[in-house]
Amino acid sequence: MAITGTTMTTEAALYRLMTWLSPAYPLGAFSYSHGLEYAVEAEIVIDGHGLADWTAAVIEYGAGRIDGVLLAAAWRASANDDAAAFDAAATLAAAWRGSAETALENAAQGAAFLAITLAAWPAPSLVALAARHNGRLALPVAVGAAAAAHEVPLPAALAAYLQSFAANLVSAGLRLIPLGQTDGQRAIAALEPAVARAATAALAANLDDLGTACPVVDWCSMRHETQYTRLFRS
Amino acid sequence: MPYDESPAGRAVALERGDGVAELVFAPRGPGSGLVHLYQSDPCRVLFPRAEAGDPPTAVLLTTSGGLAGGDRLRVSVAARAGAAATVTSQAAEKIYRSSGADCRIGVTLDAATGAWLEWLPQETILFEGARLSRRTEIAAAPGARLLACEMVVFGRIARGERFTGGFLRDGWAVRRAGALVWADALRLDGDIGMLTARPATLGGAQALASVVYVADDAARHLDTARDLLAGARMRAAATVVNGILVARFHGGDAAAVRRDLMHYLGGLRQAAGGLPAHLPRMWRQ
Repeated sequence: MAITGTTMTTEAALYRLMTWLSPAYPLGAFSYSHGLEYAVEAEIVIDGHGLADWTAAVIEYGAGRIDGVLLAAAWRASANDDAAAFDAAATLAAAWRGSAETALENAAQGAAFLAITLAAWPAPSLVALAARHNGRLALPVAVGAAAAAHEVPLPAALAAYLQSFAANLVSAGLRLIPLGQTDGQRAIAALEPAVARAATAALAANLDDLGTACPVVDWCSMRHETQYTRLFRS
Repeated sequence: MPYDESPAGRAVALERGDGVAELVFAPRGPGSGLVHLYQSDPCRVLFPRAEAGDPPTAVLLTTSGGLAGGDRLRVSVAARAGAAATVTSQAAEKIYRSSGADCRIGVTLDAATGAWLEWLPQETILFEGARLSRRTEIAAAPGARLLACEMVVFGRIARGERFTGGFLRDGWAVRRAGALVWADALRLDGDIGMLTARPATLGGAQALASVVYVADDAARHLDTARDLLAGARMRAAATVVNGILVARFHGGDAAAVRRDLMHYLGGLRQAAGGLPAHLPRMWRQ
């Protein structure tokens, strides 16, 4: 008998989200800067304040905005057993990328997330979705599917996903600018309102009117492809 | 009641436009020709004699002189198997301030096997307070080649006007053999002045352009694309996503963005299409 209608306890939901979206979950997140490496090279981002502003923009107006809506669509489709809606979100997520390297960032981390989660946190609906998409789902879609399969509430999954995205960019910034650990934590604290706004916006938005407002981030990501000295894959 | 002579005022007094332009090109004789045309106001299509070496060229214009909130345009261009065609516009498209409704533009481009189709409209100028929702939907069969651009300018720059409020959603969807392979949209809403100023968003850009080249061999032209962008005065870069060659242009000087765009489009149509390295003459007047 399928287990439906149970509400996961807050502690259990937190345990899963903190595990899946921790830098220790082996997705290789540390190797992606989402174009920040070029932004630092081009002196668009030069200090902690600039890093927080850049990251906030990515979360609210860039890939964070797109990922949030895709995660929500995947979560709802999984929770409702709506295969067609899930496939539509998965297809759009695979097509929606501003550059070759941000496409890699999303696809490679998504595939890694799916493989590890299927091994350590298997759930019947996640196994079925992964099989139908040959183990290839963009990261927000994979996280949305896993959260729904484990009955982790959507608002919490969105907040955790976007916090993890923001924290990963700040971590990249610390290495690139460079900045101290305390500056990094100040930036993460400053980003809390932007992450909260992006999570709220993702709950209300729909796939039809998606869009970003970060052409400079896309430009940096494209320029990064030919950057001479690189620490990061994006 | 005083008569409002501003373009927006005049447009408000008129019935909302709902224009259509449909064009289909097919092989004819040694070249290609138009086999279907439908146009309804305010869309009008002209067919000037193509310059030496260029495919048949269609030129779109809107007789209303610009578009206001609530106006709708639907443009569809198809190139049948083996046909070649270039479609451009006579002048920049103006989008007037809206009192609430969005102006909606839908562009559908369809290139069949062996076709070469170019969609090269001139820039769209967003007046302060304009609201535009535009969708460009591309379908390219295996063996087709399709080059498309869109450029937007934020405000009537020469008058010192800026686009600080209004709405823009400029979306792209590219399908190959029926499958969605690339989707993208620029979406400016709310405090657009803030988005214009911030380093990660528009970084001071007053104009922005995108170019996509969809073809089996698109990825092979990435080095050419980068070479063509090497001398760009504004921000410009190219990438390949899911086999689509995408280039972006933006910066604080709209005229320089336009020049960078023209140089790139000319070079790419020469490299990928064996065509003259210049744009249709409307771009150069």
